[in-house]
Amino acid sequence: MGATHSSSEEVRELEGKTGFSSDQIEQLHRRFKHLSGDQPTIRKENFNNIPDLELNPIRSKIVRAFFDNRNLRKGLSGLADEINFEDFLTIMSYFRPIDTTMDEERVQLCRKEKLRFLFHMYDSDSDGRITLEEYRNVVEELLSGNPHIEKESARSIADGAMMEAASVCMGRMEPDQVYEGITFDDFLKIWQGIDIETKMHVRFLNMETIALCH
Amino acid sequence: MFLLLPFDSLIVSLLGISLTVVFTLLLVFIIAPAIFGVSFGIRKLYMKTLLKIFAWATLRMERGAKEKNHQLYKPYTNGIIAKDPTSLEEEIKEIRRSGSSKALDNTPEFELSDIFYFCRKGMETIMDDEVTKRFSAEELESWNLLSRTNYNFQYISLRLTVLWGLGVLIRYCFLLPLRIALAFTGISLLVVGTTVVGYLPNGRFKEFLSKHVHLMCYRICVRALTAIITYHDRKNRPRNGGICVANHTSPIDVIILASDGYYAMVGQVHGGLMGVIQRAMVKACPHVWFERSEVKDRHLVAKRLTEHVQDKSKLPILIFPEGTCINNTSVMMFKKGSFEIGATVYPVAIKYDPQFGDAFWNSSKYGMVTYLLRMMTSWAIVCSVWYLPPMTREAEEDAVQFANRVKSAIARQGGLVDLLWDGGLKREKVKDTFKEEQQKLYSKMIVGNHEDRSRS
Repeated sequence: MGATHSSSEEVRELEGKTGFSSDQIEQLHRRFKHLSGDQPTIRKENFNNIPDLELNPIRSKIVRAFFDNRNLRKGLSGLADEINFEDFLTIMSYFRPIDTTMDEERVQLCRKEKLRFLFHMYDSDSDGRITLEEYRNVVEELLSGNPHIEKESARSIADGAMMEAASVCMGRMEPDQVYEGITFDDFLKIWQGIDIETKMHVRFLNMETIALCH
Repeated sequence: MFLLLPFDSLIVSLLGISLTVVFTLLLVFIIAPAIFGVSFGIRKLYMKTLLKIFAWATLRMERGAKEKNHQLYKPYTNGIIAKDPTSLEEEIKEIRRSGSSKALDNTPEFELSDIFYFCRKGMETIMDDEVTKRFSAEELESWNLLSRTNYNFQYISLRLTVLWGLGVLIRYCFLLPLRIALAFTGISLLVVGTTVVGYLPNGRFKEFLSKHVHLMCYRICVRALTAIITYHDRKNRPRNGGICVANHTSPIDVIILASDGYYAMVGQVHGGLMGVIQRAMVKACPHVWFERSEVKDRHLVAKRLTEHVQDKSKLPILIFPEGTCINNTSVMMFKKGSFEIGATVYPVAIKYDPQFGDAFWNSSKYGMVTYLLRMMTSWAIVCSVWYLPPMTREAEEDAVQFANRVKSAIARQGGLVDLLWDGGLKREKVKDTFKEEQQKLYSKMIVGNHEDRSRS
């Protein structure tokens, strides 16, 4: 790892852009190299090597989120074919704990970013709305592992949940009014006042320096 | 005419004398003790000296690094993220409680927030994964003068580099030829000895000889690797009619265990040198070798093993249920086949000390020959073997639970982490049954209650 010392410029740049510390960046870089097989970019197939990820019902949505142009801040829709280390860190930075010492405005901004990440996960066709179909799709995926659940149950659950969301966002609706779908603003409204900070972050361990010749 | 130089005859006779001396020393100090099963303690002395040198080397590196203000020490962690030990149910309840205004309504149905949990878990596994860590060699905390374990070897001081160079010289030019000679002796003695014993008529004398031939040859091989083994609890050693089960780190495990006990081996028939050894061994005493085609047939394998075990005159079987080599920091899932047979299981835990040489065989990275060469050019192989008290399957247990119980006992004794994951993961993908468990749990939570509500 002697090479990383000469590229500490890059590390500092990444620190500034993504907010990770240099130790964390080095650890994540090692992880990136392990996942990519020492290549400079990662493709979707590389995520197949993580056995624990197989257990996760929304595995495909999570992997997709890594390549989503909206999350990578490279466009308004579509998927990238491969991502480099900086993109990897950008996605990871959505899960950094919110620094409570920051001022209120910045905290709100971070919150919004995290919620936007989640919104993109639901809204797969990038039209800015979570339609009933997309919602159903998510519920089906979450319940997909269980062969005993019929599609109908999954659908009815989704429908019920969607109606509740509609009532929160639109208030009382006329009988023939159609609810198009949940927009991002509606999404934020649902989460107003609710603390998601502790649920949408991954805690990084404090690195202790034990002597290691590595 | 043959004597080109005036002192040629002197050189020849000197060479002759030194070779004789070397061989006599070899015989007296290494081979004879192996035959009789005694030890002069030379290897232990060697180990102590090495430890002192390593400590000195590490100290020098530390001092050198401080002087030059080098970032020599990298942060070492067991993982980079803190994973929450809470269960799926607790977490989802908590997410909903913190979110829902109808907090007192205890009927869980699907909510937008449920996706948080899985999303976060997914991210955690992408960042840091338990299983793939197990398959790379354990990381060392001090330098043992083998540059293969120190990837960042930098020039610190002249003395240290000289020492390292001396180490290379000793290992490759002195130890390696010595070890190869010993290994050669050991293997040829095994083949010849067992073939000769095979011609004797069956009886107690044959058994006695066979046992001692096997033990002697394994002991020579142990010295060929300079393996310094400490056996604990030898009173629990496996007996006839039992199965000996151990965790697997390298092919050397077989030599280590077999040099202290007389076992029947189980394995696939190989070609080449291995095949020659296998055929010779089976002449002297009944080992269980399977043809390639038979290995796939689980019932046939189980039948043959059961037959062997039920015959009390036959030796205890030696099996490594993990199925592949693990890097000696954890014990992976034990395959249940050997636990279905119904014999007494004698668990054995083997733990290698990585300070002297990394014994883990990463079969996807190194071939067998490369691996053996690495072993023979390490300083030594130091390990501890614990014989655990015998276990039998209880009435309400099935084979899988029994296997897990044995596995935990081995992991606890050897200070290894007990993992549920299948060692075969190194090459294959996850079996579908595991995937279902997690998802079933979540869906049970949601759907079960939803159906209750819709009914009421």
